[in-house]
Amino acid sequence: MSGWPDPSAVLGKPTERIDGPVKVTGQAKYTYDVQPDGWLYGMILRSKWPAAKVTKIDLSKALAMPGVKAAVLAGGEQRQVSYYGQELAAVAATTKQACLDALRAIEVEADPLPFVVKEDDAMKPDAPSVFAGASNVKPLKSSEKGQVDQAFATAAAIAEGELRTPTQLHQPLETHGAVVAIQSGQMTAWSSTQGISSVQEGFAQALQLPQSNIRVICEYMGGGFGAKFGPGAHGLLAAQLARMAGAPVKVMLTRLEQGLAVGNRPSSIQKFKIAADSSGKLLSADITNHGSPGISGGGQSAGGGSGANIALPYVYKYPNARIQQFSIAMNTGASSAFRAPGHPPASYGTESMMDELAVKMGMDPLEFRLLNSANPLHQREFKVGGERFGWAEKYKKPGSSPGPIKTGIGCACGNWGGGGKGTKAEVQINPDGTVEVRCGTQDLGTGSRTMVAMVAAEALGLTPQQITVKIGDTNLPPSGGSGGSSTTASVAPAIWNACENALAALQQQTGTPDARGENWAAACKKLVVTPLTAQGEWQPGLSNSGTGGVNFAEVEVDTDTGYIRLKKIVAVHDCGLIVNPLATTSQINGGIIFGIGYALYEERVMDHQTGLLLSTNFDTYKISNIADMPDIEVILLDMPERGVIGIGEPAVIPSAGAIANAVANAIGVRVHSLPITPAKVLAALGKVPNMTKV
Amino acid sequence: MNSFQYVTAGSPEEAISLVGKNGRYLAGGIDLLGMMKDYIVTPDVLVNVKDVKMAQPEGNAIRLNGQAYELGALVTVAEIAAHEELKKALPGLVEAASEVGSPQIRNVASLAGNLLQHSRCWYYRQPDIVCLKRGGSTCYGQEGENKYLSLFSGCACISPIVSNLATVFAALNAQVNVREDAQTSLYSIHKFYQEAWENPAAHNSLKPQNFILNVSVPTTRARSAYRQQSEKREFDWALVSCAAAGNVTGGRITDARVALGAVAPVPYVVEEANQFLEGKELTAANAAKAADIILRDAKPLAHNGYKVPLAHALIRRALLALNS
Repeated sequence: MSGWPDPSAVLGKPTERIDGPVKVTGQAKYTYDVQPDGWLYGMILRSKWPAAKVTKIDLSKALAMPGVKAAVLAGGEQRQVSYYGQELAAVAATTKQACLDALRAIEVEADPLPFVVKEDDAMKPDAPSVFAGASNVKPLKSSEKGQVDQAFATAAAIAEGELRTPTQLHQPLETHGAVVAIQSGQMTAWSSTQGISSVQEGFAQALQLPQSNIRVICEYMGGGFGAKFGPGAHGLLAAQLARMAGAPVKVMLTRLEQGLAVGNRPSSIQKFKIAADSSGKLLSADITNHGSPGISGGGQSAGGGSGANIALPYVYKYPNARIQQFSIAMNTGASSAFRAPGHPPASYGTESMMDELAVKMGMDPLEFRLLNSANPLHQREFKVGGERFGWAEKYKKPGSSPGPIKTGIGCACGNWGGGGKGTKAEVQINPDGTVEVRCGTQDLGTGSRTMVAMVAAEALGLTPQQITVKIGDTNLPPSGGSGGSSTTASVAPAIWNACENALAALQQQTGTPDARGENWAAACKKLVVTPLTAQGEWQPGLSNSGTGGVNFAEVEVDTDTGYIRLKKIVAVHDCGLIVNPLATTSQINGGIIFGIGYALYEERVMDHQTGLLLSTNFDTYKISNIADMPDIEVILLDMPERGVIGIGEPAVIPSAGAIANAVANAIGVRVHSLPITPAKVLAALGKVPNMTKV
Repeated sequence: MNSFQYVTAGSPEEAISLVGKNGRYLAGGIDLLGMMKDYIVTPDVLVNVKDVKMAQPEGNAIRLNGQAYELGALVTVAEIAAHEELKKALPGLVEAASEVGSPQIRNVASLAGNLLQHSRCWYYRQPDIVCLKRGGSTCYGQEGENKYLSLFSGCACISPIVSNLATVFAALNAQVNVREDAQTSLYSIHKFYQEAWENPAAHNSLKPQNFILNVSVPTTRARSAYRQQSEKREFDWALVSCAAAGNVTGGRITDARVALGAVAPVPYVVEEANQFLEGKELTAANAAKAADIILRDAKPLAHNGYKVPLAHALIRRALLALNS
């Protein structure tokens, strides 16, 4: 048993977001909306070179311009820059236009250096070295077990192929940004962040300020997917500008800047050779991955898991396996954690090859997975999902659907760890019966605030609407960053513990045997004038880690135009005790939409001649929009006995693999890279002269 | 953006005198303001033309005048897309208008602005790249990321035209009525864009002072169709677009015209294909032959070869759509 009440009054019930009304009416204040008295706009001057030795940065003309209050260097004047978009300087001024004018008035002189921005170019022996004197290709971890090559010799079928995934850019609807105010050694930073505490630590370290003098606030934020943990270069520059100007400074990045220097998901080039024995059991695997984290893994806003290595071997077990991974340095912005680091590319590559091998074995891909999956969660999810999706009725041999518009189906799975960690919380019960729950976590838009209210309401016998939730402020009891799908598993147990402690104190202090529900008002009244506060912290036993998740996809491919229409996605996920089915389903819908973007649209495009980014905005860095969304059906496996587990990352993992397999099943040939565009579909079908490899 | 003067003109003559050598007319501003923000164009004066009074048709009017619909320069793309008479008389035009951008963009974008919008080539639009079209010495598209670029060009610039309306107007043989100094001239769509075919720096043949009054679209072709394919279903630029128009009697086509968009710096029309179709049965085989003729001189580059089969498919579909 998990320690959560059974039956429950609030947990597990679909609950609308308590902050829905303030969001849809525009009252919710995001970092973008914060305007402290006397605030200035801040903007960043960035390298226009992919690699160069900077010899001069002259700020004097910019500083002399009307409205300009501060200008600072972002790392010395004489220095080497290693990617397009690297920060050189920043300005603060009274208007946005004054900032833009000032940026253009900064004189920069630099000697361009050789550069490389494409993986294939960077791997060539004569490629320019991104780091002087070092090879661009660096081995990461490798592993080998069993007798890989001998096993291939005895295999019943072997599938080989190279699968590629692009660099994916972080494009939350709210760009990265911060507003920083510093007065008498006290600093307040409003930051669009996944981790108010890690931003506080980052500022303290960089600015040599005591952590206790720094307050970080993030009450509402418009999405973060792994690159909003630290103060970021933009935050640190805002702080420098605020110090120099003696006024608060707001730096919010543009869409172009989002594409340059805030982190990204590393690319991958996965070479697969996998084999099965005559019974259809996986026998051997030889997998090599080359991925690029750009200039490096990690950056000032990165969370963990920012390297080029991906989760190989993925999900399925091979008795014999050789795995090699390499990191390729390029003159592009640093990578960062990105919603399920290492998993979506590994799932896409592995599941693509699982289908290829199933086809070679003459087996149904779903049966092939059931035969080879050792995870009981996956077994259950494949079966439940396959039945709801109608797999058995819909499955046809690859390319066998008649006519120019072909339908196809595919499936894929993923797994994730998650789990909870130290979080503290405080509850205040007022004599009028009102309750305030305080916790230094933050709500990325996932519904964390509502989750806190639900847990408190459950514990106190109240409704979520009766709970005032205070989060997103480092003055509150500390919690961790919202990453790794760990927020609910970290926060819910702490809220529960604090509420239990508060309830016990209330009952004891007022002599009420059970103060919950209808006894609440009378008990609270007995507090007379002094509110009651109680603390609590994360306790083991209420949360867990380890989730599965599968997607089934159905597509329609126009073989004349290459256009893919998604028809249906069925997703089956588990995350232990489902706290709020409405928010959980919403997270999974969002994860699938995210995965559709990865499968069909998103790709950072660099130009090899100039070293510059070409996909600078949403018309060329394409993200999912509503007209392309299929009918999405989410099936939740509720396992309250396992306690609370996060769902943010698992939700995104299997979509690309399922869609890629559905496309291959429809057209009878495989597109070997993401995103799967009309151009690549036409090329895979052999319709494009001089273009065969896709 | 750079600072600029903002003035309002009351007549085409006044607009022409105010715009000067380095000014721009401002109607919807959909394309212009974005380029100004990226410093791609830097006009010193913006002449607001939304209050310009024009002779018939008025700037924001759509009217039938004999054998042609006249569409004022200030008519919005949304107004074209929603026009009940045009849906019947010029269905291809309405289809092309309804594929422009998003509803918000169509509500604001003007007809003239749609025709004058600049290339979407991502080298041209990159704020830190000075490509051939921006006055530099290199068309980076030739050796670079040319997935979205042209199959045909008469010059070293291969940035394609992306105006949906230009493509369908080419098929409908529309004429653009342009005020030049003291006189007005009629431009065929060919003449309107020819300069962009030959001159890498040009987007069309107009001089900065030239002022579009209206577009005259003959109704002599009773059938028209427009087909485009994008990577996304809505709110995405066409990879290739195709407009076809003509008259169909007893399954045979006359007055056939086919135009492709997003494959050349101009709406791409091959007269030989139009002539080939004249009097032919509108069959899949004949449509495919016309497509072969249109695409015969295509020069695919490393990444845009897919546009050849895609254009072929869209030509066939647009032509066969004229059957119904």
